[in-house]
Amino acid sequence: MEVTFKDVSLSYDGTREILHHLNFTIPEGTLVSILGPSGCGKSTTLMLISGLLAPTQGKIFFGDQDVTKQDALARKVGMVFQNYALYPHLTVLENIMFPLKMAKIKKEERREKALKLAKLVHVDDQLDKKPGALSGGQQQRVAIARALAKEPSLLLLDEPLSNLDARLRIEMRQEIRRIQQETGVTTIFVTHDQDEALHISDHIMVLNLGDIQQFSSAETLYDNPSNLFVAKFIGEPVINTVPITAFGHDLDAAVPAEILAKTATVGIRPEALQDHPIDANTFATITTKVKAYEKYGREKNALVDYNGQELLSTEIQGRLENHQDLTLYLQKSGLYLFDEAGERIFGGEQDVE
Amino acid sequence: MLNEKPTLKSTAKALLYLLPMLVITIIFNIYPILKSFIMSFYTKYDFFKDIVQQWGGSNFTFIFRDPDFHLAVKNTLIFVVGVVPLTVIISLVIALLLNKIKWLSGLFRTVYFLPFVTSTVAIAQVWHWIYNSDYGLLNYFLSLFGINPIAWLESPKYAMLALIIMSIWKSLGFNIVLFLVGLNNINERYYQAAEIDGANAWHQFTNVTLPLLSPITFLVSVNGVIGSFKVFDQIFALFNGTPGPSKSALTIVYYLYQKFYTEWKYGIAAASGVVLFFMILLVTLIQMWYSKKHVHY
Repeated sequence: MEVTFKDVSLSYDGTREILHHLNFTIPEGTLVSILGPSGCGKSTTLMLISGLLAPTQGKIFFGDQDVTKQDALARKVGMVFQNYALYPHLTVLENIMFPLKMAKIKKEERREKALKLAKLVHVDDQLDKKPGALSGGQQQRVAIARALAKEPSLLLLDEPLSNLDARLRIEMRQEIRRIQQETGVTTIFVTHDQDEALHISDHIMVLNLGDIQQFSSAETLYDNPSNLFVAKFIGEPVINTVPITAFGHDLDAAVPAEILAKTATVGIRPEALQDHPIDANTFATITTKVKAYEKYGREKNALVDYNGQELLSTEIQGRLENHQDLTLYLQKSGLYLFDEAGERIFGGEQDVE
Repeated sequence: MLNEKPTLKSTAKALLYLLPMLVITIIFNIYPILKSFIMSFYTKYDFFKDIVQQWGGSNFTFIFRDPDFHLAVKNTLIFVVGVVPLTVIISLVIALLLNKIKWLSGLFRTVYFLPFVTSTVAIAQVWHWIYNSDYGLLNYFLSLFGINPIAWLESPKYAMLALIIMSIWKSLGFNIVLFLVGLNNINERYYQAAEIDGANAWHQFTNVTLPLLSPITFLVSVNGVIGSFKVFDQIFALFNGTPGPSKSALTIVYYLYQKFYTEWKYGIAAASGVVLFFMILLVTLIQMWYSKKHVHY
């Protein structure tokens, strides 16, 4: 189901606003991630969609239907909580059947449906165990099966992978993707981990301090960050940010003067700093001094000093010595200029010819 | 240190730590229990010189034939059945209400806890006045509904009811506090999950609150059963040192007390204590067996 927020705000105590005038539409059948640092309001947004919280202002639509006034009972969404919230006194099968029991579905039908779901999430060999006897990954699968049991038109996942170990996390995010594609249910996935969001979703909504920073595909987020926050938040290692004053006249030839005049910060992706020129893409050339050089496996990183600013480059081909001078070639594709307010005013796709 | 293997030395050390409490427990709990078991078989006993002249089971045959003991068992069972289920239900309901009231909740908790920390004698004195047939508060309220004054404490018909009402009231406080702790320990997430799963308020109560509260309910009911089987002080205080009008509130412990302190029949008193012990044990075992199936830890 399509989910639309129209000018939605929320404050818990009436004075401190957590979410400010959110406007967005989540298209039907897609998997959308809500990504942001902790405290940005992403779980709160999910609670608003589920109906466990009501907005102080604005309207929420499921399709054409205004559901703002409906509580969680009436909205009939499926939800997986961060700590799974499986009923500890019920077995795996009973947990999956619980929403069906509440919907007053006949016992045989309940069982049949629950078994099918247990098979879908691969917990059909654990049916008679209590949640306490399961591993984190298994509990998480059961929680997904329970959320899917009543065939919701909307599946909400609140940081479902944060309690799992690294290997399981990767496995489970592929599982969630597979289950979403098999069932076609519109899925909203809350996470603070960009890697998770980038791998799993069709679209990513980046939230910070209760405002939507950008809502687009993973690729667009990385290639065309709309502001400094998104540029810094997405990408590993983190983008280099340098105040424009450090550049002196190095950018004068490449950037129109009126844009340069408004620029406050320059963002350079570490892979856009190369020690070897590729003519077509080279945007500017800077001279730096090597501070540290590291090589792990196929990775070669250099930490360099540029007019007192520290820059990281991941595109080093030669062998470097500490304290040597190094000429770096700035690549156009990974360079952005931001104004005082942090908005991007130069760089990214719109300027690529 | 943590995974140290027990050696003779470390065991002795541990025993030394336990010793103070162990000495007190043995002297005041274990020894009296054993002694009363033994004493129940004394049939001829000189308590001035502590000489047992004759042993046997006649104490038990006596109490099993004594109509007073039959009455005491019957009254005790009525008391337990009257007090325990109602206490559990009423304290659960009040705890649920208190849990919803955030305003002044601290005050309410204190107020409800007061009966537990107040002396039974003082409480019985107050209830004595509430139950007074001429000036009592209870009869005054009943008169508002056109009910004639009831001689709560003087009529054999109502004495047990009066005792049960007071006992329920007295035990509410402690049980409410226990239930409140239990309710606070239920994670809010379960309710949210249940709401998402389509459970309305009643279904949330039966499917989340009750099962997750079952350990506390079990504790409260076992505690209540044991306490109610041993009821004595409320009776003594409420009926001014008598077992109620025409023995209408004679319970097993009151019977034991009479045999021991007024009739000096130690063997019989001990025998009734042994019978009470096994009654409580039986009921507790039944509760434990039931809890295996229905209590979720």
